[in-house]
Amino acid sequence: MPAISLTHYVVLSALLFSIGLFGVLTKRNAVAVLICIELMLNAVNINLVAFSKYITPADFVGQIFSIFVITVAAAEVGVGLAIIIAIYRNRLSVNLDDFDWLKW
Amino acid sequence: MPFDPSALTLEMLVAALGLGILVLGLIVPKGSRHGLGWLTLFGLLGILGVAVSMWGDSRELIGGMYLVDNYALFWKITFLLAAALVVLGSMRYVDDMGSQAEYYSMTVFAALGMMVMASAGDFITLYLGLELMTIAFIILVCFRKTDAKSVEAGMKYVLLAGMSSAVLLYGMSLLYGLTGSVIMLNVSQVIAVQPLTPALILAVVLLIAGLGFKISAVPFHMWSPDVYEGAPTPVTSFLAMGSKAASFAVLLRLFVTGLPGIWANWTMVVAILAAVTMIVGNLVAIPQTNVKRLLAYSSIAQAGYIMVGLITASEAGIKGVMFYAFLYVFATVGAFTVAGYFYSVTGSDELKDYAGLSQRSPLMAAVMLVALLSMAGIPPLAGFVGKFYLFKTIVDGYLWLAFIGLIMSMVSVYYYLRVALVMYRDEPLDPTPIKLPSPVAVTLILAMVVTMVVGIYPGPLSEVVNSAAHSFFLH
Amino acid sequence: MSDWAGVFIFFAVAIVFGAGGIVTSFLIHPRRNNPVKLEEYECGLPTQGPTWVQFRTSYFLYALLFVIFDVETIYLYPWAVKFQSLGLFAFIEMIIFIFILIVGLWYAWKEGALEWK
Repeated sequence: MPAISLTHYVVLSALLFSIGLFGVLTKRNAVAVLICIELMLNAVNINLVAFSKYITPADFVGQIFSIFVITVAAAEVGVGLAIIIAIYRNRLSVNLDDFDWLKW
Repeated sequence: MPFDPSALTLEMLVAALGLGILVLGLIVPKGSRHGLGWLTLFGLLGILGVAVSMWGDSRELIGGMYLVDNYALFWKITFLLAAALVVLGSMRYVDDMGSQAEYYSMTVFAALGMMVMASAGDFITLYLGLELMTIAFIILVCFRKTDAKSVEAGMKYVLLAGMSSAVLLYGMSLLYGLTGSVIMLNVSQVIAVQPLTPALILAVVLLIAGLGFKISAVPFHMWSPDVYEGAPTPVTSFLAMGSKAASFAVLLRLFVTGLPGIWANWTMVVAILAAVTMIVGNLVAIPQTNVKRLLAYSSIAQAGYIMVGLITASEAGIKGVMFYAFLYVFATVGAFTVAGYFYSVTGSDELKDYAGLSQRSPLMAAVMLVALLSMAGIPPLAGFVGKFYLFKTIVDGYLWLAFIGLIMSMVSVYYYLRVALVMYRDEPLDPTPIKLPSPVAVTLILAMVVTMVVGIYPGPLSEVVNSAAHSFFLH
Repeated sequence: MSDWAGVFIFFAVAIVFGAGGIVTSFLIHPRRNNPVKLEEYECGLPTQGPTWVQFRTSYFLYALLFVIFDVETIYLYPWAVKFQSLGLFAFIEMIIFIFILIVGLWYAWKEGALEWK
């Protein structure tokens, strides 16, 4: 078996991204969609860190970028969950199919 | 370290204003917070003055991570003006919504995010600005948190904005992997000597898709009518023009500064996207009966017109984009302020309730008419000049697109005039006159006057935009 | 090969950790079923209403605040590691950063997000 190379990381990241994207488009539960968005962002992080290690080992730009992605994603998920709590209080549901007051 | 904080004066001032308002909202007792709106307004106007005085400053910070030039400054002035107009026009509306400090502070932070986007020279700064804007907008969209429609719009926005950010980021991470740099000026040098690999194509497709969401270009537009309809109306107007203008500022930077070598391969894709966006936006707007939804589809169509300026990626195209975006701010503020105030008086966004508006409030009807006709591009108004600059750039090479733009502008006249007919011809169901509070009246008059003056006398603005577009290529 | 050894060990430990408990309990638990035992657990009564009961929302508010502040401190680590070489400018920047975080916390406090209602 060949040693682990950049390709392995990129393939892993592409798989994770695709799973996340698939989930975002098919899941009917708002919390699940948020989790899938997190999967996509983590795929990005794997990419960034792997590229940083293999392509530009001298500087850490990719790793710094991934730190920013992590924190911003946390803020975004915080807002998203707060909205889900608010909408649950309003409607007692987090199922996306129920949110049809505005035409989707 | 060659880092000069004075180049960030504007951003620091805006951040301080936003934080200050949030803190003041905590200190000042409830009930005496009406001054906060005025404070925000004068703060923004003061910063606008500083911005104008910085005209001509041209620098690259930290090796090109942050670009300070006339191009960025023009966008920043546009965003500050937009934020100030939105604050001025929404004071009454915000009083009705209850808690205000957060509203003003989030508006200011959204403007800050746009300003960072306009100056972003690398992917990290770009992403941070974009997310600052997006998160502030998410909070603003669901600001009426007891109104189920508003919260539903907020949730749709948070999920789709999160997904589009992730798509955009994946494209950026691939570009970083291909070039080994996140700074656009360096990326462009590496890309110029690389062959067009599948990975590069994928990266560009993801970037276009991610930013296509933000400018609500068809086929990435599904979120915008829902979000625009559910959001509080002043927020809708800021979202429609501000986030769109900022995303165009970023698109130009990303593709013209970052990927100039391969842009020629992509113009056909952008041309087709622009054509589809114009066609779908205008055709779907025709059957709408809700004014906010109609304006939402019309704003999708407007995004299609502005995309025309991206095709040549020349100085003239950039000039067209900036000119049109600037005018679009005023037309949008006019139309949405009318819709927002109409909603606070009557509690309705339906077109049929606008019947006889010209008798109830001649000013509101006139501003709505001028704003809509400007968006349609009727000659004496600013929108005509804007469309002229945009379509002039593509007459050789993409004449078919110019024709589609022309036909679609005609189609748009049809549904804009439908609104005008309802306002001017029909008899009002409830003939009580609508009294306008002075901030709203001032906003409306400003929006109308700018739209008309720039249409008749576009020279000065055109020169300013020329200088801004010229500075774009100096890095 | 040593690269992959790490991956496999990681995988194996993860699987053993997750599946081990389930499999062991399945193997060693005593099998003495009777009808009462197979009923849903609701004090012996058939369930009433949805079984997906929620935590109190105040718990979520705490969790949200915790996540945000917890993750933002990630910036403190690189700064602390490089503190000596970064100097005064970075120190002031970090003070501003912490000040902004404190404003956020103050806001949450004042708005009553920290109170257990």
